[in-house]
Amino acid sequence: MLRYSLRRLLAMIPVLLWITVLSFGIIHLAPGKPTDVLTQFNPKVSLEARQRMEQLYGLDQPVHVQYGRWLSRVARLDFGRSFLDDRPVMEKIAERLPITLTLNVLALVLVFGIAVPLGVRAAVRPGGLFDRVTTVLVFLGYSMPSFWLALLGMALFSVTLRWLPVSGLHALDAESWAWWRRLLDMGWHLILPLAVTAVVSLAGLSRYARASLLDVLRQDYMRTARAKGLPQGRVLFHHGLRNGLLPIITILGLSLPDLISGSVVAETIFSIPGMGRLFYEAVMARDYAVVMALVTIGALLTLLGNFLADLAYAAADPRIRVGGAQ
Amino acid sequence: MRGIFRNRLALAGGALLALLGVAALAAPWLAPYDPLGVNLPEALLPPSPAHWLGTDTLGRDVLSRLLFGARISLVIGFIAVGVSMLVGVSVGAVAGSWGGWVDAVLMRLVDTLLAIPTFFLLLAIIAMDPAERLLALGAWPVVGPAFAALFQAVDPRLVILMAAIGLMSWMGVARLVRAEILSLKEREFVLAARLVGASRWRILSTHLVPNALAPVVVNATLGVGGAILTESVLSYLGLGVQPPIPSWGNILNEGRIALGVAWWLTLSPGVAILVTVLAFNLLGEGIRDAIARR
Repeated sequence: MLRYSLRRLLAMIPVLLWITVLSFGIIHLAPGKPTDVLTQFNPKVSLEARQRMEQLYGLDQPVHVQYGRWLSRVARLDFGRSFLDDRPVMEKIAERLPITLTLNVLALVLVFGIAVPLGVRAAVRPGGLFDRVTTVLVFLGYSMPSFWLALLGMALFSVTLRWLPVSGLHALDAESWAWWRRLLDMGWHLILPLAVTAVVSLAGLSRYARASLLDVLRQDYMRTARAKGLPQGRVLFHHGLRNGLLPIITILGLSLPDLISGSVVAETIFSIPGMGRLFYEAVMARDYAVVMALVTIGALLTLLGNFLADLAYAAADPRIRVGGAQ
Repeated sequence: MRGIFRNRLALAGGALLALLGVAALAAPWLAPYDPLGVNLPEALLPPSPAHWLGTDTLGRDVLSRLLFGARISLVIGFIAVGVSMLVGVSVGAVAGSWGGWVDAVLMRLVDTLLAIPTFFLLLAIIAMDPAERLLALGAWPVVGPAFAALFQAVDPRLVILMAAIGLMSWMGVARLVRAEILSLKEREFVLAARLVGASRWRILSTHLVPNALAPVVVNATLGVGGAILTESVLSYLGLGVQPPIPSWGNILNEGRIALGVAWWLTLSPGVAILVTVLAFNLLGEGIRDAIARR
C-alpha cells in the first residue's frame, strides 16, 4: 500500500509538469500583454515606463525563459504577484479560498446527501412511479443551464418576492453584528448560490447511484440473500448498498476539483468574492500569475482526488488489491 | 413497459430536434421581424400578439432573435462535437491499434488533459482572444489560402469558440474508442482479416473503427447538448458569441440588465436551451438503450 502510494504520487509529478507547460503555452497565445491592460488606455504611461514594467515582470523574455523562472519560484511555493494590484498571488488566493470552500463543501454535502438516497429509492423499484418521476426530474436537471436557474431564482425570490438577498455574502451593516447573526446572514446569502451549484451535479449523481445499485441488485448474491429468507431491508442495506455505493467513492474523488472550480458561474452571478470570481476576473484582465496559479492548484487537486479515490476504493473493497501484481 | 416509456421519450427527443432544425433553417422566413432591427420606442415590451415573446432592451423582437439564435447554437453544438469526435476517434484508434509507446504517450496526454479543470482552461483560451494569431495562419504556405478563406467566411472568434469547446471534450471519446478497439482486436474476424493479409491500415479503417463507433454515437449525441450548454455559459459571461449576432447565451446576457423588469428576456432563451439540450439527452439515452439491448 505504501509503495503503491509513493509510486502514484511520484507519477503525478510529470503529469503536473505537462499541465503547467500546456497552460503556460495557452496563456501566452494571447496577442497582447497584461501590461497592455494597465497602460494602453492610459496616455500618462510613457513607453519607457511600460518597458520598465515589462522588464519587472520578465515579459520581455522568451516564453521558455519566463516558464523556467515561473517554475523555479513555484517550487518554492511562490506564485508571484498579481499584475493587477501587485499583491502576492498566494495572499489573494488565501483570502478567497475559505469562501469558495464553504460554498462548495456545503454544495457537495447537499448533493451527496440528496442524490444518493434518491438514486437508491428509484433503483429499488425500477419503472415504478418514483423512478419515473425522478428520471424526468433528473433529465430536466442536467439539461438546464445552471446560470439560467440562478437568474430565474434571483428574479423570483430576490427581486419580485424579496425573500432572499440579491447578491454578495453579507448584509451591508453586518460588520457590527454579533457572530451568530452574521453567520445566519451569510447562510441567508448562500441559499440561492448553493441551490444553483448543487442542482446539476445532483441530477448526474442520482442517476449514477441508481445505475450502480441496479447493477448490484441483478447479481447472484442478491438472489441468494433473498432466497435464504433474509428480511428485505437487510438484503437491501447490507448486501445491496454496501456494494452498490462503492463506485460513489470514485465520484466523490472526482468532485474534489469542483471544490475550487465548481462555482465560477454562481460566484460571478451572485458577486461572491471566491476563487471562481477571482479566476474570471484574472482571465478577463490577463493576469497571468493568478491564472497559472489557479490552473496549477486545480490540476493538483484533480490528481490528488483521483489518487485518494483509488486509495479509498481499495480500503472499502477488499477485492481490490492495489500495487499487487502489476 | 419501461422500454416503451424510454423509447417514446427518445422518439419525442428526435422529433423535437427535427422540428428545431427546420425552424433554424427556415428562420429567415419564419421570423416575424429582423433579428437585428433596433426599434428603441418599442423597447422592453412584454409578450403580446404583435411580439409573441416580447422585445429586448433595444426593441428587437425576441422570437426572431431566438429563431436566428437557434442557428448559431446548433451549428456551434454540431461543429464542436465534430471536432471532438474527429480528434477523439483518431487518437483512440491510433492508441488502441498501435499500442506500445504510441499508446502510452497518447494516453498520458489524455490523463493530463483530464486533470486540468477544463472550464478554467476554456475560459482562459477564449479570454486570451487568440484571433490575431489565428489570422496569421493565412500567411502560411500551401494551407494559408484555405485558412484565409475560412476566416473570410466565418468570424475567427467563432472558429476559436467552436474549436476550443471541441478540443476540451475529446478525451472521453478517445478512451472509449481505444477500449473498444483493444477488445475488437482479439476478435476472430480481425484475426481472419490479418490472415488473408489485409494491411494494418485496412484493418483499422474497415474492421476496427466502424465497429467501435456505436458507443461514440451516444457520446456525440449527448455531447451536442453539452456543447450548447457550454456555449450558453460562455456567451452569458460575455466570452462566447459576440453581439449583435444573436445566440441563446448572449440574449440571456443582455436580459440580465433588465432582470427585474423584463422577465421574458430571461425566461424564453433559457427554455429554448433547456428543451434543446433535453431533446439531445433523451435521444442519446434512447440510442444507448437500443445499443445495449442488441
